[in-house]
Amino acid sequence: MLSYVLRRLAFTIPTLLLVAMAVFTLVRLIPGDPVQLMLGDAADPAQVTEMRRALGLEEPLPVQFVLWLGKVAVGDLGKSISNGLPVLPLMIERFQVSGLIVLVAVFFAALLAVPAGLLAAWRQNQPLDLAIVAGATMLLSIPTFWLGLLLLLLFGLKLGWLPVVGYVPFSENFGQALLYIVLPIVTLTMVEIGVMTRMSRAAAIDVLRLDYVTHARAKGLPERRVLMRHVLPNAFAPTWTLIGLILGHLLGGIAVLETVFTLPGLGRLLVDSIFARDYPVVQGCLLFTALIYVLVNLVVDLCYPLFDPRVQAE
Amino acid sequence: MLRRPALAAAGIAAAATLAPLCAADAQNTTIRLRMKTDIRSTDPGTNRDGPTDGVVQHMVEGLVAFREDTSVGPLLAERYDVSADGKTYTFTLRPDVRFHNGAPLTADDVVWSWQRYLDAATQWRCRPEFTGGLAKLESIAKTDDHTVVFTFDRPSALIPATMARVDCGGSGSTHRDSVGPDGKWRDPIGTGPFKMGEWRRGQHVELVRFDQYASRDEARDGYTGGKKAAVDRIRFVVIPDAAAAKAALMSGASDIDPDIEPEDFAELKARPGLKFESATTMSMATVIFQTRDKVMQDVRIRRALALAIDTAEITDAVTAGTAKPNNSVIPISSPYYTKVQAGGYTRDLAAARKLLAEAGYGGQPIKLLANKRFKSSFDVAVLVQAAAQQVGLKIDIEVLDWATQLDRYTKGDFQIQSFPYSARLDPALSYEMVTGPKATQPRKVWDNPEVEAILRQSMQIADRGKRQVLFDTLHRRQIEELPLIMIYNEVQIAAMRTALNGYKAWPTGQPRLWGVTLN
Repeated sequence: MLSYVLRRLAFTIPTLLLVAMAVFTLVRLIPGDPVQLMLGDAADPAQVTEMRRALGLEEPLPVQFVLWLGKVAVGDLGKSISNGLPVLPLMIERFQVSGLIVLVAVFFAALLAVPAGLLAAWRQNQPLDLAIVAGATMLLSIPTFWLGLLLLLLFGLKLGWLPVVGYVPFSENFGQALLYIVLPIVTLTMVEIGVMTRMSRAAAIDVLRLDYVTHARAKGLPERRVLMRHVLPNAFAPTWTLIGLILGHLLGGIAVLETVFTLPGLGRLLVDSIFARDYPVVQGCLLFTALIYVLVNLVVDLCYPLFDPRVQAE
Repeated sequence: MLRRPALAAAGIAAAATLAPLCAADAQNTTIRLRMKTDIRSTDPGTNRDGPTDGVVQHMVEGLVAFREDTSVGPLLAERYDVSADGKTYTFTLRPDVRFHNGAPLTADDVVWSWQRYLDAATQWRCRPEFTGGLAKLESIAKTDDHTVVFTFDRPSALIPATMARVDCGGSGSTHRDSVGPDGKWRDPIGTGPFKMGEWRRGQHVELVRFDQYASRDEARDGYTGGKKAAVDRIRFVVIPDAAAAKAALMSGASDIDPDIEPEDFAELKARPGLKFESATTMSMATVIFQTRDKVMQDVRIRRALALAIDTAEITDAVTAGTAKPNNSVIPISSPYYTKVQAGGYTRDLAAARKLLAEAGYGGQPIKLLANKRFKSSFDVAVLVQAAAQQVGLKIDIEVLDWATQLDRYTKGDFQIQSFPYSARLDPALSYEMVTGPKATQPRKVWDNPEVEAILRQSMQIADRGKRQVLFDTLHRRQIEELPLIMIYNEVQIAAMRTALNGYKAWPTGQPRLWGVTLN
């Protein structure tokens, strides 16, 4: 098992290297200049050149890449062009906000979606199934920002139960922190429930058609036991893969949600940095996202045998 | 049996959680102002943008500052005298001014601040202006503890205005402890009515009232005059999303949004508990031409477009009736805006078609660049495209992100752009933004040595009447040569809770929270 994990981790190095090269190149292919943005519409050309030199942007691209990669290798992702802060602590600080919301939301979404999908599959083409599928499809179709704004207007503005904008860290005030992240978590949970329910239902339908389920029923096992013991574990495996993909995707940032709820998360940092052409932060965030993706998928793969004994980690 | 105690416990927990929020609201003497983006730094005029300038100007003050009418007046200086040859400026400092750390402001501090600004390593935005661009600052000398003498290599009427420029950080004087032993900027120890509190990146910047602030005796006047803080704290809250900002204002989570979108004005106006303040700023909504482009180099085609559009109609549509049309580079709120500047283009479709026929325009598509970061840029582009269509001009709009559009602008790589110019508080600086040699500065849209000579003259003389004559000439030539079509000066509308008193919008577009109270 350990050797498998180490081997998988070793495989991430070339992946990350490729990501680093792609990110570095693509970011610089986008027209626009961070120094011009800083100096605005009346930028003095000599001053632009001087500032670019000070930031190391006048070096040839391969030299810039090698210098950056050398620093990345020792854990230094450089400093933000926008505010001069080191990129790594900045990202970690922002990731704590996004990570917490994503993990909690995905947990609740899975908790609700998997049984809902199972129920829908069990009652396939019956009113309960239609209701669950309709609900899931509706949630799937609602844009995150729109749902977020609606909840914000309802609970923040109309009812006044929850704060409208801002963020308080848990380390500062647990109660207030909770209030500030309720709406983002509810929004994300609702959005993710849709896709998870559909996947869970489809997987459960496949399993329900298998012979061993018929056999279990023929043995006289109660339906509840058939579903919980024989259908759920096997139907959960594909959903677990989907959860892994969703987690990897969302942990890279939930920019839209963070913008609507004014959360200082990783997604907003990335989007703001793209607009500001803050190369070190963009590169750092994308590399970090790639790493998260790889690690989440590794964890998902390692957990697979727990749900499907046919799959061996080795 | 267990259900009721459990519910009660949950209720108590919820109440305990909500209580601090409610209590905090009740005791609040903090004004919360919405910012669209976070600030970049607290170092005046260096790593900056509009929001950064707005925050920094509450903490840092310069020798001079802009008044409400955009003229320049003394701020940290009690007065300043200019030598007969216009090359020497003698600033006499106010004796009672203290820094946020309690130290008195002396001539040494002014000299230190300026030496730091002029050091290339500081990357002060306005360094090029004082190292030869405007004039070369040859020496800064202290003659006594409260007198500083600036000597330049040549006279320029724009020296005080450039010192006061908001994007130059008002050339603010800071205490040397603002910089760490390693030479790096820490926090501003300035002389402003507020001092640095807390900066939570991506969330808010909080400033605290400076109790020892020595205010000028006059009434508040732009960035100068009386500047007493009336509240304990001011918090600049980052709310990027316009809808969330609106909800924050309506729910009382923010007290003021200094720059709402014109289309939100009508909706918010109908809400109780809100009031508004507006001012015409000096930023310009323009359509600029690349006069070296093979199609746009023909002034008849440019004129045809100018005659096809109805400036008043576009202004009205884009700003929801809040702004006035203006075809002059000189802003409406400038004291130099007279009936000469009020003269511009009048829509004449027949004349436009005739000009296109004379120019032999064969329906070649013309690309118009716009962006959606500044929504007015896109809206203007759409209306210009529609107007152009009526006379047979084929315009295609290409929407870019702001950084890309700015890059194309800087390289001169475009045919037409719907371009928002930032505010310049002196007409010469407004013309300077658009005028210059394309060979060395491709971003300049008006490349005419005669015009540059007139502009240089306007920068050197201080006499108001003589400057007016020069600006009138520049305006007439701008209308004739058409390097750009000025459409309007942006109007900034601030929406605020009725509990907020004393807030006033002004032509720089920057918020000022001294003298503002919260009931």
